[in-house]
Amino acid sequence: MAKPVVIVVGADKGGVGKTTVSRTLLDYFSANNVPTRAFDTESPRGTLKRFHPELTEIVDMTTTSDQMKIFDTLNAASPSVTVIDVRAGLLSPALASLRDIGFLDAAKSGQITFAVFHILGPSIASLDEIAETANFMQGAKYFLVKNFINNTSFFEWDQATYNSYFHRIKDATELTIPKLNEMAYEQVEVASVPFLKFVANKGINDDAANYSFVLRGYVRHWLANVWSEFDRIKLTDLVGTGKPARGEK
Amino acid sequence: MRRTPVYIICSPRPLVGKTLIARLLSEFLLLKNGTVAPFDINLKEPSLLEYLPKITETAEVEDTFGKMSLMDRLIVNDGIAKVIDLGFHAFDEFFKMSEEIGFMKEAARRGVAPVILFVADTDRASARGYAMLEQHIPPTAFVTIDNEYVLRGELPAAFSHGRVLRIAALPVFLKTYIDRLTFSFTDYLRNEKDTSTELHQWIRKNYFSFRELELNLILQRL
Repeated sequence: MAKPVVIVVGADKGGVGKTTVSRTLLDYFSANNVPTRAFDTESPRGTLKRFHPELTEIVDMTTTSDQMKIFDTLNAASPSVTVIDVRAGLLSPALASLRDIGFLDAAKSGQITFAVFHILGPSIASLDEIAETANFMQGAKYFLVKNFINNTSFFEWDQATYNSYFHRIKDATELTIPKLNEMAYEQVEVASVPFLKFVANKGINDDAANYSFVLRGYVRHWLANVWSEFDRIKLTDLVGTGKPARGEK
Repeated sequence: MRRTPVYIICSPRPLVGKTLIARLLSEFLLLKNGTVAPFDINLKEPSLLEYLPKITETAEVEDTFGKMSLMDRLIVNDGIAKVIDLGFHAFDEFFKMSEEIGFMKEAARRGVAPVILFVADTDRASARGYAMLEQHIPPTAFVTIDNEYVLRGELPAAFSHGRVLRIAALPVFLKTYIDRLTFSFTDYLRNEKDTSTELHQWIRKNYFSFRELELNLILQRL
């Protein structure tokens, strides 16, 4: 049986696009027929749940009962990938909790595949986050995500400073999320549907929708670029499914 | 099923005769089908809107709103042929956007047939524009316009890979005559009794070329 996979998407800063990245991950796994479930820690009102209500459960990661809800069900026969969208400011505490419950040790010993998508903000504070997060990363796949979706400029960073932080983490991989046309992004927000459904011109209940062809085109183009990044890091290999033929879908 | 044609008349160069061809084609389609939807994205040059104000809509591709209001109309298979007079300033942005949003593929899926009418010129920008279009547009949907008034000689070999539509040059006095804002090609054909005049024959020859273009489309050869 395939190992359970846990992907944590987080940052210690708000508004850097954690939920957007989580949404692209759920769309990617859905397109690749990988059974997935998601937890939204933005309790009580989850943004991820608004877009993927069937897959997502809202949890409070600071409570023991919800930690049990997530991690005690990992070995259940059902979905192989668990995506956790960690609320702003909770990444380091969440990783600390994972360490405390022995989850990180399980990942280190290879019982669980564990990956962290660390969404970076443009400020130097993000570099400190990297250093802080790095302490928990033994046994995990660590992805540093530069998210340009909201036109973030990363050139504020001195490259040497950035490298000094970046290279502290062995095997960390950089990932780039390109910019999406603002109006297209806004329309998907208003429609409250996954990116995939928006591209397919479908509403929340798979009913026919009437989204702009231009905006759908922008989203399709952008999503293809994001997914090519996921292909580049061999995300399907990480979750143990290999690369299926997405075109057959 | 009949496909709805979308003729995009374009060049990365100003003053190569795009609006003249858009006028001719719009009047031909109006005469033949009784309806046509011309769009003017050429407001910085002599404009289609000035010649056919009753039927022409303006459009722009500089912002997302403009792109949406234009492209969401073009992608509809409503049986009404569209003619786009694409200004030189909008050339790069229009085709970049078309590529990004997958216009050609979606058009094929929805029964819309875009036909790119590229007006050739002898400069470097035209050669670059032609090469770019050749990469992205299927050869069946790509026609080069050899406007004799602009090229004044043989069409350069670089432009003659695919289908070519020739527009003969008119003498200057006739050019001035047709450039009047009140001039209508179809009205001229209807009102001029002498069918042997040079202008009469010029209009008929061009209408015949457009008819062939349409026939190719109907026969799915385009």
